[in-house]
Amino acid sequence: MKLQLRVAQWFAQDLTISKWQSQDFNTGICPTNPVHIAFYYLLHQPAVLETSSSFSTFVLHSSLCRSLAEHTQDDVDKTVSSWRSLETYNYNKYHPIEEIYQWMSQISEKYKDVVTQHFLGMTYETRPMNYLKISQPSNNPKKIIWMDCGIHAREWIAPAFCQWFVKEILQNYTDNSRIRTLLSHLDFYILPVLNVDGYIYTWTTNRLWRKSRSSHNNGTCFGTDLNRNFNVSWCSIGASKDCQDITFCGTGPVSEPETKAVTSFIESEKENILCFFTMHSYGQLILAPYGYTKNKSSNHEELIEVGEKAANALKAKHGMTYRVGSSADILYSTSGSSRDWARDIGIPFSYTFELRDTGTHGFILPEDQIQPTCEETMEAVLSVLDDVYNKYWSSNCAGKVTSTTMALSLLMFFIFLL
Amino acid sequence: GQSPPPALYDQSPPPPALYGLGLLLAPSVGLGEAPTPPASCRSVGAQRWPPRCSAPAGLLQQAGARGLHFFNFRAGSPSALRVLAAVQEGRARINPKKGCRVDLAFTTELYNPEEGKERLGKCSAQVFFRKQKPRPAINVTCTQFIEKEKRQEKDFLLYKQMKQLKTPLDVISIPDSHGYIDPSLRPIWDLAFLGSSYVMWEKTTQILYYYMVQLRSVKQWKTQEDAIDFDYTVLLHEFPTQEIVPCDIHLVWYPGKPLKVKYHCQELQTPEEASGTGEGSAAAPTDFKNF
Repeated sequence: MKLQLRVAQWFAQDLTISKWQSQDFNTGICPTNPVHIAFYYLLHQPAVLETSSSFSTFVLHSSLCRSLAEHTQDDVDKTVSSWRSLETYNYNKYHPIEEIYQWMSQISEKYKDVVTQHFLGMTYETRPMNYLKISQPSNNPKKIIWMDCGIHAREWIAPAFCQWFVKEILQNYTDNSRIRTLLSHLDFYILPVLNVDGYIYTWTTNRLWRKSRSSHNNGTCFGTDLNRNFNVSWCSIGASKDCQDITFCGTGPVSEPETKAVTSFIESEKENILCFFTMHSYGQLILAPYGYTKNKSSNHEELIEVGEKAANALKAKHGMTYRVGSSADILYSTSGSSRDWARDIGIPFSYTFELRDTGTHGFILPEDQIQPTCEETMEAVLSVLDDVYNKYWSSNCAGKVTSTTMALSLLMFFIFLL
Repeated sequence: GQSPPPALYDQSPPPPALYGLGLLLAPSVGLGEAPTPPASCRSVGAQRWPPRCSAPAGLLQQAGARGLHFFNFRAGSPSALRVLAAVQEGRARINPKKGCRVDLAFTTELYNPEEGKERLGKCSAQVFFRKQKPRPAINVTCTQFIEKEKRQEKDFLLYKQMKQLKTPLDVISIPDSHGYIDPSLRPIWDLAFLGSSYVMWEKTTQILYYYMVQLRSVKQWKTQEDAIDFDYTVLLHEFPTQEIVPCDIHLVWYPGKPLKVKYHCQELQTPEEASGTGEGSAAAPTDFKNF
């Protein structure tokens, strides 16, 4: 064990964050010695077992060390002083992907009663897409709330919110009755960074990159707009077939591994998913389907009503105005979006959130706005969840009859009896 | 004395059937709502407009923002820049041949809010988009919400701060990736925003609009007249295309004098009506065509 630790320490030091962020990232700082790789595998067995189906590919693939480093375990954490502990994790700062991966491991360790970490799939550059499942053990069957952040690489406030959301739920679920009630019937699946390759690229090379980092046209052209790549009216409007364009829809619907990873999972669980939240910035909008048409979804009025209630709850926090509407109505037409796809496979409450601000800072939102943005967005999301919970599990709100009209009806009935 | 008015119970009660009907109708009556106007015509606090108003989404908001780009450029005061607070009322009239005219009233806030002080200015504007062409004609008036002397004082302060900066500036980008702008560099950002306002106004069409995202490669030069003279590359975020458009801007400014701007934007593959190059001075009278 000591030898393994020492080897792992050597690895961890070699693979420090500063190196990850340097331009040398793609040019061979990863060890290629198979003995070292084997030791590292031994040490991180649990994490690798998670991905055992693709382990053989992992071992042979040159990006192995990156992937394994991202599954760092607590024992290695303690030996390397540059890694932080969960107690000092700063939710008011933007974090590079290595820190987010580490945070996810630590969170699932600390709250192991309710949190598990799962592998969703691999990115184009073969990095793991990991999500957290928050589930209160219970006898009754649960419905699912899905939230993903960072489908567009430059929208840094979104992954920051996903982390904040997880933190708030976990720090408060034992003594906050609102959250406890939600957890009694709902499981939360949170994907803090969907577009991992793109996110890393915004840290190392281009802060304003939006797409994935898939290679096209013999390496002359990079990236697909993942939010144009879903199989819903694919590439019909508001997207481009030119790989140089920033809204490139891909070589076909669900052509990208990231999109495949999300769709496979959501498809497999769609009967149980009530809410699909996809977090973006900027614009301060709560968007309902659709973007690909001005036609409205069957539950459009309900979505707007719930959305407006959420916007009011948000505004009550710090005074920010968020507009609510269908994407085609209040933003612009788009096709192939994850939100539209989710709605069309039957997930009833499907929303895109565009977080702060409205253009003063745009994508490069200063860190001192992370907290207020997250606090107000939290109120909005909880408001939607309350409405969803009441719709499905509260005896007060069966259908659309309000308690006032029930009382009135009863009163009139009694008057008639007199 | 007077006979008491006929008591309610003297009247024959309504037929029972009505009550039954009432019971049936009660649930739905409680939820009746007036039909809402189509979202494209809705605006904060405005009346409903005729159905032929099919303005693009968020047009009122955007018209307000563009009106302010023009206002800020013409005012030439980097310490008194305004941003849109809220649209109070507005309407858009679309003429298929000529383009689109937007009339609106809106409130503004200071781009650089003073701590503890919340100022709200009021503006009214008419914005004319000439059928897909850039450079909308704008008529905008705003209430004064900073006293002239105070504004001039702040401008001179900013001017002095700029003069004190070491040239060449060793700055890669403002803000940095985390949104941070060093206070000593804030004057550069404000002045750059002023110059970019001109560019964003000129490039704007009924469909395309811009936000300033980041400054790159700032170079300051000395001038004989002691004006501030500097070159920078600004990254503009273009809606609805989502593209990032780099523009090289050269501006010359002296407090109280009209701003002079020269620019060249990198045009992307798709051909546009707007030329990528332009220059202007806030001193020149602006073209205002009657719609």
